[in-house]
Amino acid sequence: MFGLPGLRLGSASVFVAAGIALGSLTATAQIDASIVEKNRADLEKQSKDPVMKREGGTQPLDWGYQLPDGVTTHQVTFYVGGGTPLYGKMFFPRGFTKTGKRPAIVCGHGINALSIGIEKYAARFADRGFVAMAIDYESYGFSGSEVSLMEDDKTTDARAVWEKTARVQLKRTDLNNFKEVEDYRAAVSFLQGEPGIDPDRIGIWGSSNAGSVVIAVAGHDARVKAVVSQIAGTGAAPATTPVNITPAFLDDMIKRARTGQGAEVDGGFSFRSKVDMYSSQRNREVRPGATVDRIPETTKILSVLAEKDELGNPVPAANAAAKAFKGTWQVVVLPYMTHFEMYSGTAFEVDSTLAGDWFEKYLGAPPVMKAKGE
Amino acid sequence: MKTTLGIAFLLAFLATASAATLPDGVTTRDVWFYSEGVKCYGKLFLPKDFAADGKSRAVILAPGWGETAASTEKYAANFAGKGLAAMAIDYRGWGKSGGYVYLAENVRYDDRLRFSQHTAKVRIRRKRLIPDDQVSDIRNAISFLQGEPGVDRLHIGVWGADMAGGHVMVIAGLDPRVKAVVAQVPIIEGKNAERKLSLPKPGSKQADIQQVEVNLARTGEAPATPVAAVAMNAEETKIALAEYHPFWFVSQIPEKTAVLFVVAANDTKVKNEDNAIAAAKVLKGPNSVTTVPGAHAVAGKASDQAADAAGEWFVKYL
Repeated sequence: MFGLPGLRLGSASVFVAAGIALGSLTATAQIDASIVEKNRADLEKQSKDPVMKREGGTQPLDWGYQLPDGVTTHQVTFYVGGGTPLYGKMFFPRGFTKTGKRPAIVCGHGINALSIGIEKYAARFADRGFVAMAIDYESYGFSGSEVSLMEDDKTTDARAVWEKTARVQLKRTDLNNFKEVEDYRAAVSFLQGEPGIDPDRIGIWGSSNAGSVVIAVAGHDARVKAVVSQIAGTGAAPATTPVNITPAFLDDMIKRARTGQGAEVDGGFSFRSKVDMYSSQRNREVRPGATVDRIPETTKILSVLAEKDELGNPVPAANAAAKAFKGTWQVVVLPYMTHFEMYSGTAFEVDSTLAGDWFEKYLGAPPVMKAKGE
Repeated sequence: MKTTLGIAFLLAFLATASAATLPDGVTTRDVWFYSEGVKCYGKLFLPKDFAADGKSRAVILAPGWGETAASTEKYAANFAGKGLAAMAIDYRGWGKSGGYVYLAENVRYDDRLRFSQHTAKVRIRRKRLIPDDQVSDIRNAISFLQGEPGVDRLHIGVWGADMAGGHVMVIAGLDPRVKAVVAQVPIIEGKNAERKLSLPKPGSKQADIQQVEVNLARTGEAPATPVAAVAMNAEETKIALAEYHPFWFVSQIPEKTAVLFVVAANDTKVKNEDNAIAAAKVLKGPNSVTTVPGAHAVAGKASDQAADAAGEWFVKYL
């Protein structure tokens, strides 16, 4: 079993849980979260329904969605890291025109997952008038691989690029939160250059491991105006020492440097595949909580959490981050829910609505054209 | 023909001259280590009494901005003369190290097959200057050295000059394996960098950088021509440098890590007050600032003095 789920990425500091934290929040800075209470009975019902029980991952039936009437999709390629192509699926709302100026949202998937599992969120945002873009991170799904030469590299510094035919190895599922931060940022850049989008109104949404990654993105990039971090808590502890390296990881790092490849472990939840053991060591170094002090107050953050999250209770850590942040950071907890139950049923209806409300409040409500028959 | 011969003689002469400068009993060996999928070059300098079953203290030498292992060999030889194992390295995409590899044609892949081999058209990019990647390369060199028979993995140091002096700060702050470091004429930019992010003013240099980011995300496939590659290298470096703040890592350097700064008396490129001296004030553990005569490009006798100071620091604290 893969060691640490990403939501433990941040500080492990323990704070007393406090249901819904307000931090320095004023009432007008919040969105109305009464939808949670209104659906309490249904959430409880979902939690007791054996068909809706989710342990250790989501299921294909959780990924399906009906494309809202009038929403169109389009697959795009964008680039990161000097030329690695990444895959994005754009969701355009009804009435979208290239001459308009709509707010837009990047949606990223969880640990060792795929964009197909979270397209339903992008579709939902597009239904509310946003342009949304669901992305696969590097070496996942339809995005490009890590490419290595299997022969000696005879190129020299005489030229800055050499084109040739060579034996290469492609590596997939190279779980790397540092790169995921860059993948999100490249997607934000892509959206800023897309006709019909307002480059000053870009939001990001991430769930599970990506719920931590989006906080790191906010700590690295002021262009992000609104963030929704789902089922993750990063804390806000500053980094005061290097991240510890255990003997087992040290041996593995040596093996990687001397042979090119370290040990592999089973990775992921909904999508099973091997990942490098080293991934969890590297991901610990991202420390999104340590970047909270850098996030500009123009960035508005919402944490949407599951009360019974079995991968570690993110509520105290999210509350601590919300409290430490000088700007607006609201925390909403869905009662009864476990980690992987958040993607379906009533929980999905509630958490995707809260996220959409947040983006409407802080990116500005886009014009919504009614669907046929409404 | 004449010219070629002349160059060959010159190279032979230089090789002899270089070999002649090795301290008594010091031997060298080329090695290869991997950094994020790229095979990188290292040159080991082993002291006289080095034994595969021994426990030698060891130091990585990180090249400066746009430099290669050759620029640090003199220092490596000096350290080996003082009984330390030393390893000079080339960063990814520089010198004898492999470049950044990108596919130039479509190849099918599938996540169910984690590793797959293909014959394909590729573009190999070189001479990129990405500080974060250089930091990774140095850390992977540390891993390599820790696995070298005869090296004591618990006593590893890092030396770097110029930009690599900044890298040394980042590594000491990130990597608990490093016990002593020397930063020579370091560029630690960031003392004055606002830690809080902000949006650039329209028309500012930062706004231009953001436009470059948009362009790279939308059209930034690996360039096909050297001219385009040189231009893209410059753009990427501009972005990477704007976000690189070694100073932010200084406060993370543990108390047990010993840090020596070697600064040049007449440095016109970096302000010692804002870089080495400012960083020294933040450190919790043993540290010192020592000055050598001359300019930023420490040369001649000053470089002997700088190498001795660094070597002695490593001997003392490793």
